[in-house]
Amino acid sequence: MWWHRCSCVPLRPVYAEFELSLTAMGAKPSGRNVQGQRVCQRRPGSQGTKMEMPLWLAKGLYERKRRVLSMELPKVYREGWRTVFGADPTVVDLHKMGPYYYGLGSQLLHFDSPENPEIANTILQTFIGRFRRTMDSSQNAYNEDTSALVERLDCLERSLFKAGQSGLNSFQLWEKGRSSHLTASSLVINYRKRKITDLQA
Amino acid sequence: MDPAEVEFLAEKEMVKIIPNFSLDKIYLIGGDLGPFNPGLPVEVPVWLALNLKQRQKCRIVPPEWMDTDKLEEIREQERKLDTFTPIPSLYYMELTKLLLNHSADNIPKADEIRTLVKDIWDTRVAKLRLSADSFISQQEAHAQLDNLTLMEINTTRSFLLDSLNYMYKLRSNLQPGRSQDY
Repeated sequence: MWWHRCSCVPLRPVYAEFELSLTAMGAKPSGRNVQGQRVCQRRPGSQGTKMEMPLWLAKGLYERKRRVLSMELPKVYREGWRTVFGADPTVVDLHKMGPYYYGLGSQLLHFDSPENPEIANTILQTFIGRFRRTMDSSQNAYNEDTSALVERLDCLERSLFKAGQSGLNSFQLWEKGRSSHLTASSLVINYRKRKITDLQA
Repeated sequence: MDPAEVEFLAEKEMVKIIPNFSLDKIYLIGGDLGPFNPGLPVEVPVWLALNLKQRQKCRIVPPEWMDTDKLEEIREQERKLDTFTPIPSLYYMELTKLLLNHSADNIPKADEIRTLVKDIWDTRVAKLRLSADSFISQQEAHAQLDNLTLMEINTTRSFLLDSLNYMYKLRSNLQPGRSQDY
């Protein structure tokens, strides 16, 4: 069930500190998930160990009352970077800072850190600040190499960019009159089927 | 929506033609057309006009607004105002493209008209982007834009709706005790 729910959330490691011994809970700290991959290191989970684990596992283990684990915020969401985003969100290379800045940030709010309101606000303001740049670049770059424009964008912004480009491309195609133009499928061209007339020649 | 679908809807608009054949009134599902008498102008939908023109059975009369002076006036007004000016036809872009591609010989100063319409289009789309940006940056919940045509809306529809959806999800993070899964 967890695997299905988190299929769109990547296996992003989150730093978690164990506050209770996991063996005391009767659960094993390591194991294999559905695909047979090692999920975490086999280490006796004693109190206070710092460990990396995927987000979905941390979410599942997290409980406010029993305090199984507490989460350490990745540095992009901390005070220092938050002021950078507040100053000018457009200069940051969001892809390098974690390709899922917005998605991961929204998931981290689940862990009830005291800085949650500021994190949520920063994420929203960053999105709004970068929106104009994304819109302009996606709507004005027709038939060009867009890799330079896209490389500094987070994944969410990239999907927006793609939507803007597809709108622009279909309009330009229509204006040229090629939207009702029949073209051979690329698969057929790649087959390079030999025609019987060519064989006989 | 595809631009081709918007063009299909635009072809329902009526335009005047001067046929060179004669035919009695025809009764179609959408309405009655005709009768056609050579040399006498008659109003038909654009799809029929284009078909007759391609078979060389008529001459298309350009609509009144498709005139360089009128279009220049509209262009100047569009550049002056911040809001969208009412334009004479809701399908000006599609009609320009269709009529100029198929019957440029019937329309005087076709190239100038094409340039003017393109200028008007660019101005309007730039205004649309500006208002979309202010809509998002001020986090408004409701915006009203008058005098927009379907083609303009269609080019920004997927982008704007997706970004508003994402913004809504990020905004609901601000409410305590809720975090979105997506």
